[in-house]
Amino acid sequence: MKAETPRQIGARVLRLEDPRLLSGRARYIDDIRPANCLHLKFVRAQVAHARLLDVDTSMLADLEPAVTVFTGKDIGKLSMKSHQDYPEMQYAEQPLLAQGRVRFVGEPIAAVLAEDAYLAEDAAEMVFADFDFLDPVTTMEQALDPAVQPLFDHWKNNTWVERQMKGGDLQAARAAAAHVIRRTYTNQRHTGVPMEGRGVVAEYDPGQRFLTVWSSTQMPHLVRTYIAEELGLPESRIRVIAPDVGGGFGVKGQVFGEEVLVAWCAIQTGRPVKWIEDRRENLMASIHARDHRHTLEAYVSAEGRLLGLKADITVDIGAYSTYPFSAAGESGMAAKVMPGPYDFQAYEATFRSLATNKCPNGTYRGVARPSAVFSQERLMDDIAREIGMDPIAFRLKNIIRTFPYRNVLGFSYDPGSYVESLEKTRELLAPDFARASATAGDPNRRIGVGIACFIEQTAHGTPDFTRRRVPIETGYIAARLEVMTDGHVLIDLGLQNHGQGLETTMAQVASDALGITPDRIYVRHGDTSAPYSVGTWGSRGGPLGGGAVHLAATEIAGKMRAIAAHLLQAPVGSVQLGDNKAFVSDQPDRFVDLAYVARSALRNVDRLPEGMAPGLAAEASVDGPKDGSYSNAVHAAVVDIDLRTGKLKLLRYVVVEDCGTILNPLVVDGQVRGGVVQGIGSALWEHFVYDAEGQPLTTSFADYLMPQAPEIPMIEVHHFETPTSLTPLGAKGLGEGGAIGPPAAIANAVTHALDIGVTGTPLTASVLWHLAKTAREGG
Amino acid sequence: MRPKEFVYHRARDLDHALALLAEHGEEARPISGGQSLVPMMNLRLARPDHLVDVNDLGLDEIREEAGALHVGAMVRHERYLTDPLIRRHLPALLEAVHWIGHPTIRRNGTLGGSLCHADPTAELPAMAVLHGARIVLASTAGRREVAACDFFKGAYMTDVQPGEMLVSVIFPCPQGAHSGAFEELGERLGDFAMGSFGVVLEHEGGVIRRAATVCGGAKMTPIRLPEIEAALQGQTLAGLDAAALGDRVTGLIAPAGDFQVSAEYRRALIGELAGRALQRARDIALNAQP
Amino acid sequence: MTRITLTVNGRKHVVEAEPRRLLADVLREDCGLTGVHIGCAHGACGCCTVHVDGSPRLSCLTFAVQMDGRAIRTVEDLGGTEATHPLQQAFRRNHALQCGYCTPGFLMALLPFVEAQVSAGQMPDDDEIREAMSGNICRCTGYQGIVEAVRETIGDALAAKTEAAQ
Repeated sequence: MKAETPRQIGARVLRLEDPRLLSGRARYIDDIRPANCLHLKFVRAQVAHARLLDVDTSMLADLEPAVTVFTGKDIGKLSMKSHQDYPEMQYAEQPLLAQGRVRFVGEPIAAVLAEDAYLAEDAAEMVFADFDFLDPVTTMEQALDPAVQPLFDHWKNNTWVERQMKGGDLQAARAAAAHVIRRTYTNQRHTGVPMEGRGVVAEYDPGQRFLTVWSSTQMPHLVRTYIAEELGLPESRIRVIAPDVGGGFGVKGQVFGEEVLVAWCAIQTGRPVKWIEDRRENLMASIHARDHRHTLEAYVSAEGRLLGLKADITVDIGAYSTYPFSAAGESGMAAKVMPGPYDFQAYEATFRSLATNKCPNGTYRGVARPSAVFSQERLMDDIAREIGMDPIAFRLKNIIRTFPYRNVLGFSYDPGSYVESLEKTRELLAPDFARASATAGDPNRRIGVGIACFIEQTAHGTPDFTRRRVPIETGYIAARLEVMTDGHVLIDLGLQNHGQGLETTMAQVASDALGITPDRIYVRHGDTSAPYSVGTWGSRGGPLGGGAVHLAATEIAGKMRAIAAHLLQAPVGSVQLGDNKAFVSDQPDRFVDLAYVARSALRNVDRLPEGMAPGLAAEASVDGPKDGSYSNAVHAAVVDIDLRTGKLKLLRYVVVEDCGTILNPLVVDGQVRGGVVQGIGSALWEHFVYDAEGQPLTTSFADYLMPQAPEIPMIEVHHFETPTSLTPLGAKGLGEGGAIGPPAAIANAVTHALDIGVTGTPLTASVLWHLAKTAREGG
Repeated sequence: MRPKEFVYHRARDLDHALALLAEHGEEARPISGGQSLVPMMNLRLARPDHLVDVNDLGLDEIREEAGALHVGAMVRHERYLTDPLIRRHLPALLEAVHWIGHPTIRRNGTLGGSLCHADPTAELPAMAVLHGARIVLASTAGRREVAACDFFKGAYMTDVQPGEMLVSVIFPCPQGAHSGAFEELGERLGDFAMGSFGVVLEHEGGVIRRAATVCGGAKMTPIRLPEIEAALQGQTLAGLDAAALGDRVTGLIAPAGDFQVSAEYRRALIGELAGRALQRARDIALNAQP
Repeated sequence: MTRITLTVNGRKHVVEAEPRRLLADVLREDCGLTGVHIGCAHGACGCCTVHVDGSPRLSCLTFAVQMDGRAIRTVEDLGGTEATHPLQQAFRRNHALQCGYCTPGFLMALLPFVEAQVSAGQMPDDDEIREAMSGNICRCTGYQGIVEAVRETIGDALAAKTEAAQ
C-alpha cells in the first residue's frame, strides 16, 4: 500500500529508548529526589510468628536531627485487602504496619523517617518490638494439619481456599485406561528479583490538595485507585508515575502496602517521603513466587492416548493475600492451565492455597505456568517412559491438531503451530540425541536431551477475570495519540515499559498506521496521565497495547487523509500516508507534508474542509479476548552431567516459538532469551529457603543464586508465525513464555541423562549427585 | 544497607597504622580492598568504630628470600596471574586464584583482607595452609609469626589480636622439581566453594619426595591431610593411583551439610576433587620429566 | 564530616561527607551522576561498577573518603548523552540491554577488558567474554546480546587496527 515506506511492524528496529539507558541518563526511582525529602526505613519483623505486644520507639525521642516514627497504632485501619470472591475463601487483611501479630520475617512493624537514608537506618536500629512467640507454620504439611493454630484468629484452618475445576467424565477415562500413572512434582519458592528493587517517593501539595506518587511499579493506575480508596482521596487529585523501572518480571505487578504507606506518610508529615528498598528487604519481603506441589494421575489407553487427567494442586501462599491477584490466583491458574496443548476431554483438579509464616506469594513471569508445565511435561515424559514410547512421538500422538480447539474446561484455543513446533524441534535435536546415546551407561558423564511443549494463555481479558472473580477485575489497555502542530506524535500509553522495548514497538505500530517515521513518535508511559489501563503484565503489551495504538492511530490517519485530500484536491480514497507525507496514489509528486496537515488541523484550521472539527487526537482501548490468545512453544535442553560431582553443563538450549505477528524480532528474541535464562535459574539454583523457625536463610546474593554469564549457553530461537484473529494486529503475548519452559525441559533432559524420573527443582549439583547415585543404585 | 558511623583514619605508613590500631584496639579494623569487610559493614554485621585505611602502606611486594616467597598483605589477587615468581614456585596457588570471586573482586581484594576474613572455603586461606605458610602479624609491640594452620581458628575467626595487623605471608617454596594443582566446585563460577582440594608434589627421579595437601569445605577451616601426604611420600609418580587416594580422602573427612549441599555429597565431592587434583599434579609432574 | 577532593569524569569535585558514605552515594547525590546504580550494596551484582584511576571498582564497597585525590570515571563520561562510544553502540545493535539498570555496570566492567583484548590484538572466545562479565548480573537479557556486543566491538577495533596498519 505504501510503496516507498517499508513496513515498521516486523522490522528489526533498534530501540529508541536505548541511548538514555546506555548513557546513564535514565531516571529510576532512586533518581527522583524532591527537595526537603524525608527518607523512610522500615523496621521489619525478625521473627516469623508472634503476638506483637508493644513497639518501643522511646529511644528515638531525643535524636538530633529529629526523626518521625509511625507504628501500627498510628495508622488506624489502613491495610491491604485482596479477596477473591469465592464462597470458600477465608478473608484476611494485612495492616500496613503490623497490629497485634506478625506473620512473617520481614513484615513491616514501624516506619522511621529521617533526614537521610543513613540516619533512617541508624534510627530504625533503635526501635524494639516486644513479642510473645507463636509456633511458626513453615511447611505445607503443618499448614494442612488441623491441629495447627490458624494464622488468623477468625480462621477455621490454614487454607485460604480449596476448590475444584472439572470437565468431562473422569470415571469413564479411568475405566478405559490401560495405564494409570501417578506422580508428585514440586517447584521451589523463588522469584523474579529485578536488579532494581522496589521504591516509592510521594509528595503532597496541600494547596492543590494533590498527591504525586512515584513508584517502581508495572501498574500505576491500579496503585492510584488503591491509594485513593484506602486514603479516602479523590482519584482526580492523585497522579502515579512509574519512572524508568529497572526490571519487574511480575514482582512489581502488585499494589504494595509500602506504596500506600509512603503516600500516607507524605500527607502526615507535610514533606516528600522516599523509600528505597534494600536488597535484603527485597529478598525477604517483596514478593515470593511458585512453591507448588502437584500430584497428577494420568489415564492412558493401550495405544498411548491420554484419556484423562486428575490433578491435586497445592501452593504455599505465605502470610498474606497480595493485591490484585489474591491468594487464590496462583493455585487456580495452575489448575486452569494444566490441560495444556494436549487433546483429552476428562479432567478434574482440586486446588488449594495454604497460609504459612512466609513472605506472601505473588506473580512472577509465567504465573503458575512454569510449575504447571513442569508437572505436565515431566508427566508426559514419565508416561512415555512407562509405556515404552518415545517422548516426542507420545506428544505428537496426543497434541491438539485442529483449531479452534475447545478444551476440557471449555476454553477456546486459537490456531497455533503445535505440531510444526514439535516436529521442528525433533529435527533440530537429531545430533543431540545421537550425542546422548553415545554416553548412555557411561559411569562418569551423561548427556541428556529434554523438551517441554506448552501453550500460554496470553492477553487475558476482562471475561477471564470476571469468571475467576479476581480483584484485578479487568484486563484492557488504552492509548491516546495526539499529533502535534509539527507533525510529531505523542502517545500516552496505558502500559509501563520496564525493558520490553515498548517505546520502540508502539512507535512502529503507530508509524505504520500514520505514515510518520518512528523518530517522530514519542511514547510516554507508566503515568496515570495516560488513559486508565491495567499496566504491563500477563503478556499483554503487544496484543492489547499494540492493538490500542493501532486503532487510535488508524482513526487519526483517516482524518489526516481527509484533510490531505482536501488540500491536494484529490479523492480521499486515493490519498496514502507514508514517510511523513500524504500523497496521491501513483503520483508521488503530488504530496503534502503531514506537518502541514497537522498544522492545518490544529492552528490554521481555516484550511480544513468545511465543517470539520479541529484537532488530531484519538483514544482507543483493547480488551483481551474472552479466553485470551494462546501462544505456543517447544523448549529443548541438552545437558551434560558429571556424575561424580553433580556438575551440570547446558550444552544447548533451543526454543521454537509462535507468538503470532512479530512486531519487532529484536525485541521478541530478547524477551525469549531473557525469560529462558530466568527459567534456567528456576530449574537449577534459585531458592528461598526457610528454616524450621521460619527464618529466611537466603537474604543476600551470596545465597540466592541467579544465573550469571559463565553458566549460560547461547539460546537458539526459531519462530513460527500464526497470527491470531483475536487481536487487532494478529499478535499474541510473548513476554512470559521464555520463563515457562526451562524447568520442565531441563528436568526432562536430566531424566533422560540419568534414567531416573526427576520430581522437583532446583536441580543443584548436590541434588543431581544424589539423583545419579540413586539411579546407579537402582533406586 | 548502609554502615553505621565510624571514624576514618588514613595511615601514612606502617608505624602510623599500628599506632592507630594500638590506640583503638578492638574497635578498629584495617581496611584495604574492602571486598570482604564492606559488605559486612553495609549489612551492619561488622560494626567497627574506627577504620584504619592501609592502602598507602605499600606492603605489596612479592619477593623471594631464603627459599620462600614473601608476599605483602596488600598484594591484590589479580597480581598472581602474571607474577613470574608465583608461576615458578606456587603453581597450585596460581590455579586457585582463578576461582577467587570475579574479575573486579580479584582486581581490588588483597591477601591480608582475604586471610583475615577467613571464609571457611576461600582459596587463599587454603593456599596458606597447603604451603605451610607463616603469617606475619605486626603490632606496636613487635612482630610475630603464626603458622597458617594455627592462624585460622574457625569460620571467620583468626588469631589476629586487637592492635595487630597482618603485614605479610611467607610461603616456603616447594623444593626441587615440583608440581601443584587445585580443584574446586561451586554452583556458579566465582561462588563460595562447596568443596576444594589442593596438592603440591615435590619429586625427584619419578618418585614423590614430599607431598602437601589441603582440603577446603571439610571443616570450618582449611585442613591438611597428613595420612594422604604420608601415603604419597615415596610413591612413584607413574604408580600413583589418584582415584584410590581420592576415595581414601572421603574416609578421612566428615564435612557438615547445609541447606544447599548435603554432608554426604560434600564428602564425596571433596574426595572426587582430591582424585582429580592428584591426577593432574601427577600428570603435570610426569610431563615435566626430562 | 570530611572534605574530599575527587576528579570525576575530568572535573574536580570538593565534597563534604561523612566517612561512612559510600562512593556510590556520593557520586549519585553529590555529583549528580545517577548512572551509577546500586543493585545489591554487598558487592555481588556489579551494577555500581565505576573506574578508579582507570580500573573497575565496585562503588558500593568503597567509601568516598578513601578516594580522596583519585580520578573516578562513570558511564556518563563514555559517550555522552547519545551514547556514542563504540561499546555502547554495539550494545544497542545487539539488544544487549532491556531495562537498562545493570547496563552502566556492565559497560564499566567490560570496557577495560575490551581495550586490553584490542591492544593485545586478540579476539577472546565466548568463555573468556563470559568470565569477564561474571561479576555482573543481568536479569533481562540472558547475556547473549552482551556477549555479541563485546565480540563485535573487539572485532571492529581489530579490523580497524589491521586496516590502519596496511
